[in-house]
Amino acid sequence: MNLHGGRAVFAKELMDGLRDRRAIFSVVVSAVLGPALVLFMFNRMAVRQRAAQEIKVPVVGAERAQALVDWLRQQPGVEITAGPKDPRAAVQNREEEYVLVIPGDFAEKFSKAMPAPVKIISDSSRQTARPKVQRLRQLLARYSEEIGSLRLISRGLSPLAARTLRIDEVEISSAQQRAATILSFIPMFILMGAFVGGMQVATDSTAGERERGSLEPLLLNPVPRWQIVGGKWLASVMFAGVSASLTLLLCLFGLQYVDFQEFGLRFRMGPEIVGGLLACILPVALLAPAVQVVVATFARSFKEAQSYLTLVVLLPLLPGFAITFYPMTSSVWTSPIPIIGQYLIANDTLGGKPPGLLLHLIAGFSTLALALLLVMVATRLFERERIIFGR
Amino acid sequence: MITAGNLRKAFGAVVAVDDVSFTAPDGAVTGMLGPNGAGKTTALRMVSGLMKPDSGTITVDGREVAQDADAARRRLGVLPDTHGLYPRLTAREHILYFGRLHGINGAELDMRAGRLMEWLGMQDIASRRVEGFSRGERTKVALARAVIHDPPNVILDEPTNGLDVMSTRAVREFIRRLRAEGRAVLFSSHIMQEVSALCDTIVIISHGRVVAEGTPDDIRRQSGRENLEDAFVALAGVEEKELPQ
Repeated sequence: MNLHGGRAVFAKELMDGLRDRRAIFSVVVSAVLGPALVLFMFNRMAVRQRAAQEIKVPVVGAERAQALVDWLRQQPGVEITAGPKDPRAAVQNREEEYVLVIPGDFAEKFSKAMPAPVKIISDSSRQTARPKVQRLRQLLARYSEEIGSLRLISRGLSPLAARTLRIDEVEISSAQQRAATILSFIPMFILMGAFVGGMQVATDSTAGERERGSLEPLLLNPVPRWQIVGGKWLASVMFAGVSASLTLLLCLFGLQYVDFQEFGLRFRMGPEIVGGLLACILPVALLAPAVQVVVATFARSFKEAQSYLTLVVLLPLLPGFAITFYPMTSSVWTSPIPIIGQYLIANDTLGGKPPGLLLHLIAGFSTLALALLLVMVATRLFERERIIFGR
Repeated sequence: MITAGNLRKAFGAVVAVDDVSFTAPDGAVTGMLGPNGAGKTTALRMVSGLMKPDSGTITVDGREVAQDADAARRRLGVLPDTHGLYPRLTAREHILYFGRLHGINGAELDMRAGRLMEWLGMQDIASRRVEGFSRGERTKVALARAVIHDPPNVILDEPTNGLDVMSTRAVREFIRRLRAEGRAVLFSSHIMQEVSALCDTIVIISHGRVVAEGTPDDIRRQSGRENLEDAFVALAGVEEKELPQ
């Protein structure tokens, strides 16, 4: 088969795209924005985590429970300060995040071995306070347990008698999978990269070609329409592929600087993870420009094409929403669905449970098939007089 | 040689081209003259195979366009009504691109591109991106890329439209050269002087129909007018307000 026409179109669109500032801009921005956001969020999390370990506890009525306050002060990362006069108002006005109040009857109840009251005043709607309050509550529970055990021992009883339950928490999800819930927006950014990266070239070479009036001269050459459409599609695929791969590699590069131990998580990154992710997303880089070529060819103008395609860019957000309502993992049933299939495979790969070759093949082939079908549709459109000469 | 027989094309209820026949022989310039909206562009689009006629036949050097459009296109160079360029490509890259679409490469392509640019006097703009080109410069680029494959038949749809005097002269010069090389040149215009200055035969089209055909002298005789412009007005049946140019 003679492919010189398709090759010429591909080479020209590639060169034209590389000279198009908007095409380069969209590749760079989509590749940098995602990883930057991921790192920013991890950084915020780390800051909050550290903040929770070091807590400042404002105490009202510290003199009523000297032993307790001294014990708290000895715990690592705990600083005791004098509480405000009106603790409720202080929390409400956000002068304090939380306040520990020791009521007047504490000492009396404590000495009679009755449950001695302590009050934590906090506002649970405040995100930043939550882990600190959690830590304080744990500390108080530990103190309570320690004293309780001592009391039982002094009465000649085993502290174990007071423990009716021993709670063993067995986390089903592996440490890596918990990391993946945090990492699950990385697949979304990669998919976005595929959709944003090729968009300008796909639009400019179809809707733009007609709007410039260069489509008619182009079609007058003895080149089969499918080669013309195919060349334009593949040139856009290059941009989409580079954009998606760059997003992925920058994300993974950035993750090397995230201390996952700090979150109690384990995240391993080997060549098989990088390779698996690349193999998973590349079919999407074939599909996204195919969708865009069809939409842009069908649109009446460049502007119209752009407004449709900004909606198409939102497609990669769908799997995220879908998973919120119907929790899924990669399987033979989800893999054939383009975009959702890739999202789930990428998610599981990042979670340390890389799906087998079969799922990769199913997802890859069904996505490729859809892409080729769309290129055929675009070829048909390019044969219509109403499309060639505008409506 | 290009022949069109009984072409007809309707867009909905509007009949744009109605039973149009003409021949553009080798080594001659055939002018298609008609007011705006007469159906010239539609007729030429059918010849180049981008539009399918509702009925009628078109052949280019004996090859039927409806049967094998690509075979006809290899023997046909077309400067269409809309001939937009790619703003980020240089003049030379435009010409090379179309050469490659025809499967021409390497030294052969460089030689042809260089020769065309010399003929059209565009060496000084060859390596400039076409963004910001004047209308005349743009037309030259479009003209050069349309004939990079050395076609024996050339169709030019209003090539001098909107050009200044110097560019118009260059285009006319180019058309004469194409004729001298023995090619069949079919070009459309609504400008009387241009057609009379260049054409060996004239086909006058009005409201989608051929109203007169022949040499400029034939046309004058048919209409009984001495002046070609008066002849055109009489034959095309245009109102005063629609007078060409």
